[in-house]
Amino acid sequence: MEALFYIFSIIAIVSALMVILVKSPLTSALYIILCFFALAGFYILLNMQFLAAMQIMVYAGAIAVIIVLVIMLLNLAKIKGAIKDFHQIAISIIAIGLFTLEVILYLNAAGEKKPTGIYTNTVINKIGNTQIIGEFLFTKYVFPFEVASILLLVAVIGAYIFAKK
Amino acid sequence: MIFWLITTLIKILIVFGVLLLSAAYLTLLERKVAARIQNRLGPMEAGFHGYLQPIADGIKLFFKEDIIPADANKILFILAPIIVVIPVLTTFAVIPFGAPIKIFGHIVPLQITNVNIGILFILALSSLGIYGVVIGGWASNSKYSLLGAIRTAAQMISYELSLVLSIIGVIMIAGNLSLAQIVSSQSHMWFIVYQPIGFLIYLIASTAEMNRVPFDLGEAEGEIVAGFHTEYSSMKFAFYFIGEYGQIVINSAIITTLFLGGWEGPFLPSVLWFVIKVFLVILIYLWFRWTYPRLRYDELMDLGWKILLPLSLANIVVTGFIMILLGK
Repeated sequence: MEALFYIFSIIAIVSALMVILVKSPLTSALYIILCFFALAGFYILLNMQFLAAMQIMVYAGAIAVIIVLVIMLLNLAKIKGAIKDFHQIAISIIAIGLFTLEVILYLNAAGEKKPTGIYTNTVINKIGNTQIIGEFLFTKYVFPFEVASILLLVAVIGAYIFAKK
Repeated sequence: MIFWLITTLIKILIVFGVLLLSAAYLTLLERKVAARIQNRLGPMEAGFHGYLQPIADGIKLFFKEDIIPADANKILFILAPIIVVIPVLTTFAVIPFGAPIKIFGHIVPLQITNVNIGILFILALSSLGIYGVVIGGWASNSKYSLLGAIRTAAQMISYELSLVLSIIGVIMIAGNLSLAQIVSSQSHMWFIVYQPIGFLIYLIASTAEMNRVPFDLGEAEGEIVAGFHTEYSSMKFAFYFIGEYGQIVINSAIITTLFLGGWEGPFLPSVLWFVIKVFLVILIYLWFRWTYPRLRYDELMDLGWKILLPLSLANIVVTGFIMILLGK
């Protein structure tokens, strides 16, 4: 298990780096799909098969397809040298700083924490985590769940209106 | 532990062998069915009634010149046919193809692995099949390939929605995502009786997912030569075909498992029941191809978004209401 974790981590980090280092947009889109797969591997190591399947279905199967489709429709010959902008550099420096801070905070707070509440690992493995996720989504977290779905609905309607114009 | 390892390896080898062999022989079956429908004989030369034709075809493709277009993106061009085949071969890992058998006092389930999210595993893999087509079409650097790839991508995205939603009804009745559980909950009644609309939608949407006639806009030979695999030759071309025919077997196996009771059946051994049911569904797919003409692009999109999608959503709502009324 430990070895698998390191294998997935290496794949995830290397592919994430390749996304921004590779010149061709389509190749970098393919690397981001590889990165999604490595993340799905982490979910399986955490006994979260449902999340792993969703990760591949939604991200690798749907969102990345749209990205690839858009890249295919771009006229790649036109995009030669990248434009270097002062704002871009400033924003990237701020983003890197924030990210480093986050990592440090997480590493400080990390410790051997066991899951709390009535759903311990043995209970989850007995019932199956898909059922438990469903139960929580429709009882305890029904409000955030509905808010998220309204957000998606707004995006769909927005896309429809833009497409009509 | 060692016993488990050996049986699993044997199961994997058998499934792999049978899947590849049946994909090869499906080409012959398709040609024979087409010939029967068009009042011809079909391949008759190689072997008795042409039974060695797939092997002859395989040898021919193997020795053909392997051409890579000068302006193609070489790595992606080689990678694309491989991406087509891998999800197809992996999907069968979760499909139960027979009742558990007893060997030396151990109970061996006839399924490579029983994942508790079996259906989602299948759906996740089937959503990846699109990449082989899209990348192959893009990497070829040819206008016909690119047009075919774009058409196929748009089509597969549209039909995947109805494909996934048509299965939800089955999941609701079975109350489980594991395929072994779904098969055992059909021991009294097949789900096609409860979910006739879901079955029809899955049948149509999976035909569109596989880019078969009447939904083969991605390789419409009258308009764009051969679509996304125009530039492919030799074994790379063969890989696209293994992927396509493997997908027919896989989709028939999924339909058998979800709607037709899997390996359940009286008198005959369970594996034989499974094979018979899969064979019948395969024949339906072949029959489709030689009966209907190709749809126009706008007809295709109308069918996907305006008919199949609302119908599958309505199917879910009606199923839910009936389940509540019956108090399940």
